[in-house]
Amino acid sequence: MLEGLVTKLADTPWSIALHESLYMYAITESTHVMSIMLFVGTIAMVDLRLLGVSYTKVPVSQMLSKILPWTIAGFALLVITGSMLFLAIPIRTYHSIWFRLKCLMIVIAAINIAVFTFRVERDKAAWDLGPVPGKSKICAVISLSAWACVIVFGRLIAYNWFDCDSITSPTMAELTGCPLDPG
Amino acid sequence: MSLYHTAQNIEASALGQTIRESTWLFPAIESTHLLALALLGGSILIMSFSILGWGLKTPVADLYRSAHRYLNAAVIVLLITGVLLGISEPVKLYGRQAFWVKMISLAIALLVTYFVFNPLVRRGASGLGLRSVTVLTMAAWLLVAMAGRWIGFS
Repeated sequence: MLEGLVTKLADTPWSIALHESLYMYAITESTHVMSIMLFVGTIAMVDLRLLGVSYTKVPVSQMLSKILPWTIAGFALLVITGSMLFLAIPIRTYHSIWFRLKCLMIVIAAINIAVFTFRVERDKAAWDLGPVPGKSKICAVISLSAWACVIVFGRLIAYNWFDCDSITSPTMAELTGCPLDPG
Repeated sequence: MSLYHTAQNIEASALGQTIRESTWLFPAIESTHLLALALLGGSILIMSFSILGWGLKTPVADLYRSAHRYLNAAVIVLLITGVLLGISEPVKLYGRQAFWVKMISLAIALLVTYFVFNPLVRRGASGLGLRSVTVLTMAAWLLVAMAGRWIGFS
């Protein structure tokens, strides 16, 4: 079903226009990279505070209320530009193992954010300026690792090592949703 | 010897060849370059937002004590990985406008950050002067990132 949707997407005039444009694709890709500075940059600073290693003079509550809105703005920019990049090259990206791993990492990071928001930060008043509890440190490490993986996997989508035409193992065919080449 | 010849010599060097011919080296260095870019963005922005009144209320000099470590680490990693990427394809870079735009904006960004922005922040300065320098610093680094990505397209 997803495959059919992606194939339809590739035939839309929007997809073709983005794919064939001289500047729009490059502008979108560059904006995507600049937005990483805003999104991963700010979330990393928050994580370093939650880890208790930096910005210890800043109350945790202030770090969350003043910096996270910027993180969300960065995320919005990344989702918009990222969707445009997907729209420009839908079929190849859909089958990309790196794109799939990137999505998996985003899901892990999102679950981590949910756990932090609904469980960990509940009693933050008690450790606003004091020693950071272990549960906060665990969330920070998961967040830093997951977003680092998202950056690396995202960058690797550009490489064609595991494109459908070079898939030879049944496992990789399964993971990428590519047909297994009989030859 | 012309700059172009120098580029050719670097391209022919053992290190340049090794990076160019390896499947994984260039992407690995490139990814590290991007990770450091994110760290650079975070350390500059956390100070900038506070200076511009859009962020933390903590005195900027206090933020600097933590932020400058990440800024320095990011700049060092960016320069090392950037040089390695450049060594692998200097002849291509020589002909790309985006590369020269990046190098000029990088020089401006480094000079403004280390000789104007950082000293002002350390000193606990405030006012319109600092705010203008902050906007210039942010703009310079954004241009570096944008032009950097553009090298791959032009």
